[in-house]
This record gives sequence, C-alpha cells and structure tokens, in this order.
Amino acid sequence: MRDLSTKAGDATLTSTQVENESRSPLIALIGPPNSGKTTLFNRLTGLRQKVANYPGVTVEKYVGQVQCDSERNVELVDLPGVHGFSARTLDEQVTRDVLEGQVEDLPAPDAVVLIVDCTRLESQLMLVEPVLKLEIPTLLVLNMWDELEERGGSLNELELADLLGVEVVKTNARVGLGVEGVKEFLSQVEVRESGVPLPEHVLSNVPRGVPLPMIDAFTARRRHLDKVVDRASFVSPGPAESTNALDSVFLHRTWGPLVFLAVVVVVFQSIFTWAVPLMDGVDLLITTSGEWLASRLSDGWFRSLVIDGVWAGVGSVIIFLPQILILFLFLGILEDSGYMARAAVIADRVMYRVGLQGRAFLPLLSGYACAIPAILAARTVEDERDRLATIFITPFMTCSARLPVYALLIAAFIPEGRLLGPFLGYRAAVLLGLYGLGIAAAVVTAFLLKRTLLRAQPGSFVMDLPSYRLPSARSIGLRLLDRSKIFLRRAGSIIFAVTIVLWVLTQFPRTDAGPPPIEDSALGRIGQTIEPAIEPLGFDWRIGVGLVTSLAAREVIVGTLGTIYGVEDATDDSITLQETLRRDLTLPAAIGLLVFFAFALQCMSTVAVMRRETGGWKWPILQFSYMLFLAYSGAFIAVQIF
Amino acid sequence: MGLDTPKSMLGSRNEEPGGELRLGDIPLSQTVELVRIDLPSEGAEPLLERGVLPGCQICPVRSSPTGDPIVSVDGSLLALRRETADCLCVRLLSDAS
Repeated sequence: MRDLSTKAGDATLTSTQVENESRSPLIALIGPPNSGKTTLFNRLTGLRQKVANYPGVTVEKYVGQVQCDSERNVELVDLPGVHGFSARTLDEQVTRDVLEGQVEDLPAPDAVVLIVDCTRLESQLMLVEPVLKLEIPTLLVLNMWDELEERGGSLNELELADLLGVEVVKTNARVGLGVEGVKEFLSQVEVRESGVPLPEHVLSNVPRGVPLPMIDAFTARRRHLDKVVDRASFVSPGPAESTNALDSVFLHRTWGPLVFLAVVVVVFQSIFTWAVPLMDGVDLLITTSGEWLASRLSDGWFRSLVIDGVWAGVGSVIIFLPQILILFLFLGILEDSGYMARAAVIADRVMYRVGLQGRAFLPLLSGYACAIPAILAARTVEDERDRLATIFITPFMTCSARLPVYALLIAAFIPEGRLLGPFLGYRAAVLLGLYGLGIAAAVVTAFLLKRTLLRAQPGSFVMDLPSYRLPSARSIGLRLLDRSKIFLRRAGSIIFAVTIVLWVLTQFPRTDAGPPPIEDSALGRIGQTIEPAIEPLGFDWRIGVGLVTSLAAREVIVGTLGTIYGVEDATDDSITLQETLRRDLTLPAAIGLLVFFAFALQCMSTVAVMRRETGGWKWPILQFSYMLFLAYSGAFIAVQIF
Repeated sequence: MGLDTPKSMLGSRNEEPGGELRLGDIPLSQTVELVRIDLPSEGAEPLLERGVLPGCQICPVRSSPTGDPIVSVDGSLLALRRETADCLCVRLLSDAS
C-alpha cells in the first residue's frame, strides 16, 4: 500500500507522478503470430476491452481490463503478433514502441506477458532474450501445453523458469485452462516506480543493414536458447498427424486449388446472396424508423435535415453492415482455423507473377467488401514494397459500395436478354465485366508499380503454416463486435458530417419561398462549374453533382441523383429514377459512367486510411490522381466505342 | 546495398566438398542442415526470426500445388518460395551422427 499522506503533503509532485499514483498497472501481452495470444487476451478481458488506433498509424490498439482477485483491476494491452523487434513491419514497430514506452497516452508497461506455442518452443523463444532486457516482471505462458503432451512432447517448465529467470504458466487458452495462473501473476504487478529511466532502445540492438553482426546476434541467441531448452529437458512433440492429414488435401496438387476456388466462391456467395435478406431487413428498419421520426417532427428545415440529410445519408451506409459482418465472419473462421495461410500459399505463385505475394490474398479478398479493412489487413504483408503495392491496388477490387451504383445503372440501361443460353444474361455479363475490369486494372497497376516506384531487391518469401485448429466462437464473436463498432463509428462521424454538408449545400442560397431549385443551389452551381470537364464523357451537371458527392462514398451518388431528380420532378412522383436517368443519359454515357466508377477512387475514407498507413500524402495523392486518370480516360474510350 | 559483395552473404563461406547443395534440390523427407543463407540481410531476416539459422535442421515435408517447398524446422511448418529455397545452402547429415 502506498503512503497517501506524502502525496497530500508534497506540493512538488509532477503531473506524471500523480498519474503514476492513480493509474492501474499496465501489462503488455506479446507473442509470435498464431501463438494463441488474442485468444488468451479475450479469455482474460472478455467484453471489458476497447479498440482504438495507435496515434499516427492505423494499427489497432486493444486495451482491456482484467478483474483480478480482491477488487484489483489491471490494464492489459494486446500487441500485434511479431517474430522480432527489428521494426521491419508496422506491427513490429508498434510492438517495440509500446514496450519501450514511446507511445503517446500509453505509459511504459509495468510487466510483460510473453505467450508462446510450446509445441515449437525453440523458435518461439527467440523473443525471450530481448524482452528480458526490458528488466520488468515477465511471465512466460506456455500455451498449447495439451497439444505438446498429446503429441508425446515434454518439458520441465520449472527448470525452464529457473534458467530464464521468469515465471512460467502452462495454458490451453482455447478452453481456458491455466488462465487462473496468468491472472495470479497479473494481480501481483505493481505500478512501475516513477523516476526509473525507461529502457530506451534495448529492443533495437540488432543493427539493420549490417549483415554479419545481425546473423551473429541471431545465432548466438539461438545457441543460448538451445542450451536452455536442452537443460529444461524439452522433448519435441511428434508430427501433428491431423494437420498433416488435412494438408495432404488442402495442399494437394489437384484438390488444393479446387478447395481454394470453392472457398472463394462461398465467400462471394455469402457477400452477395446470403447478405441480401439481412440488408433488406436493415433497410426496412431504417426506412420505417425514418418514417416514424418524420411523422413526429413538424414540417420544416429541421425535419428536412434529419430525414433527407442524416437518416438517408447515414442509412445508405449502415445498410452495408450485414455484408461486412458476414465477410468478417468467414475471414475469421478461415484465419483462426489455419486455412488462410494455406490459401496464401496456393495464391502466392499467381501473385508473384504480378509482383505481389501470397499474403496479399487476404487483403485483396477483403477488398471486395470494403477497401478500408482490406488496407488494414495488408499490414501482415511483411515486405514494405509489397505492402504498398497491395494497398495501392486494393481500391480496384469491386467493393460493395460500387454495387448500388452498378445495380441502378445496369437496371436502367442494360436489357434483360440472354447472352449465353440460360447461364448468363446481358446484365450479369456487364456486372462480371466490371469486376474483370477492376482485376485487370489491379494486375496492370501492380505490374507497373513493381517495375518502377516499388522495384524490389531479390527478397525472400517465408510463411508460417500454423496447425489446424477449431476456431472459437468466442474469439470470432468478439471480433465481429469490434468490426461493428468501428464501422458504425465511421458511419456516425465522417458520413454523418458529409451528409450534413451536402444537405446544407442544397438549401442555400435561400429564396423567399424556401430552399432554391436544385440547379440554383450551391450544390447545383458546383455541378455546373465542372460540367465542361465531364461533357466529353456525355455527363451533364446532374451527374457532375453526383460525382462530387460520391467523393464522400461511392454509393452516395444514388441518393444524390434521387434528391436532384426528386426535387426537379416533385410534381410527378410516378417517374422512377431509372426512367429519368434513361431520359437524361445516353447508353454510351451510362457505360462510361459504369467504367468511371470501376476505376475512380471515390471514397474519402480510403484516402484518409491510405494517408495514415503510408505516413504521408504522397501515396494517397498519387493513388487518387492515377485512378481518376484511368477513370476519365476509360470512360472517354467507352463513350467512343459504344 | 551491394548485393554481390561477399559481406552481404550470411553465414560461413566454407564450401562443401563435392559441390553445393541447395534446399530446393533436396527430396521430400530428407533432413538436412542449413549451411548458409545466400540473401542480403533484409531478405534473410524473416528466415532468421523463424529459426531458419545456419546449423538448424530442415526437412522438406511436401510440395505445394505450385511446386514450392513446405518444410519443417523445429516443429514449425514453413512455406517457402522455390526462389528462396534455392538461396539456402544445405548439407546432408552424415550417417554417423
């Protein structure tokens, strides 16, 4: 118990000291990827966790409260899974910065919990030595202990604890075995004394760019570990029979690629077919609640703002929530089961031809739902040039925000006829063509990038293939909850703000009778200003307004066109948006517009994420201009051809 | 960084008698010892961190559908690219040991 009387009497306490006195202990949870780190984190914190981003980067920061015995709370921060601290990847950099206390708003941790997969102890322990240099209380969690024993391995864990000078706990985090032992360690952690200097840069002692000392450092560390592991009587487990059996199917010369294709098809089906009833449900919910709200508000500018602005705008984005959740459900199952790594192996050869690598498969697949989580997922791409190339081409994947635009234009302009017997109609063919267009642009772009701006030296490719495991519903459920929160927060902030701005632009300058006709409003004027630029594409000022508003998010153009035509044709409600579009837009211009949307980076959230992930404006500006150029020239060519 | 200078190659430069063996030439289930990594440090680091160090034992366990090797090192299963496997100089374990 600390002496409170000195605190009250001492007027010279600095603010950090006061902070130290009042905060609860902070413990960092680290470990290599696939060691069960996040499973343990979820076991310990459950729903008492929150996600944010580390300042300046989009690496997610998970901090959770652990309720230890006797009303004691500690804070646990789940760090990204890493193999080392050389800061070769963003994840490694963040992990190092947190451990060394270099992150804003996060004190240096008071203790470390290092979790390892004890079925492959030697290589997993490579993290131990640098962590011990931090000289703070350390707990070594030997996870997957059950699997070690099942496969005939053994270890004298008390001897290992003695040799390393750390506390040791055996766990099976997936079923919660041994978690109490971790809690006991956490309950004994004290807040670090203020005034003790932080262990600056002890983790980065492996010099980069100096080849020989680096390998020596690794080899020396490894020799030492081999001795330690030997003296602790470690017996390696036998081969994992079940993993071996599954791999002989999933990595089979014929079956492997077939299973891979089946998985991709199921994921797509789930996004585009199975999500539809759920999305209709959400739509109904938004519409009815909007109508109910409209009936409660008196007619006037406020009702117009709430219903036409906020409800319609934010609602048009929230509708994608089911789709995104279903995608993440599948990705979570694929990742936690261990299959995703196999999929990456199968995809690697094709990706490599283009200039990418197998790890880019997951981000690019996620890109079909939304580019933002996809760009974040690209952090697992270890090579920085490959990562940049991956996130540069991600927005070419046909994200779900393009679908409402495609759906509207295709329904309005493409006849329903059959192209290939009963299998493929014109409309489906056009939709497939737009997907293909995106893929083609991505392939060509990656190819060009890797031969110009991101030309790489011959590197290496190595990827861990974790043992297959049954995914835990708890872990996946918690992740889906996170995703929903993040997505709704975005809809509630950026999109909310944009819809209000748009609404205001339609309301001014006011006339005596109220809001101006749309072509005289500020928004209409903006459209007319850019009309000369888009005239060669066959677009008039109305489409221009739609292009401007869709900068916020692609699907916004549907709502905007609805507003513009809705306002114009207020006298005749029976004319649908499709019919008015057919009246105003020629077929070539409509195809041009489709091509424009296939290429253009009409999404400010993506631009913002790109800026944070690349640490500057260079890449997002380049990406935006490049995609706009492709979109404009693509649309121009389309108009000439058709 | 100069790729061709000997300094950028990692590990001992002792040549094996009877020519050099590369990991890519090793048949399945044949355990070998890693001698040297012929990669600049940036490329070698991901390997080193995963325990692929000179002196370690590597065993190719299967071939991926695209013909790339999948190897076992210290109980970890690692997928390599053919090109990476060809940068790993190995030697057969003598029967005596």
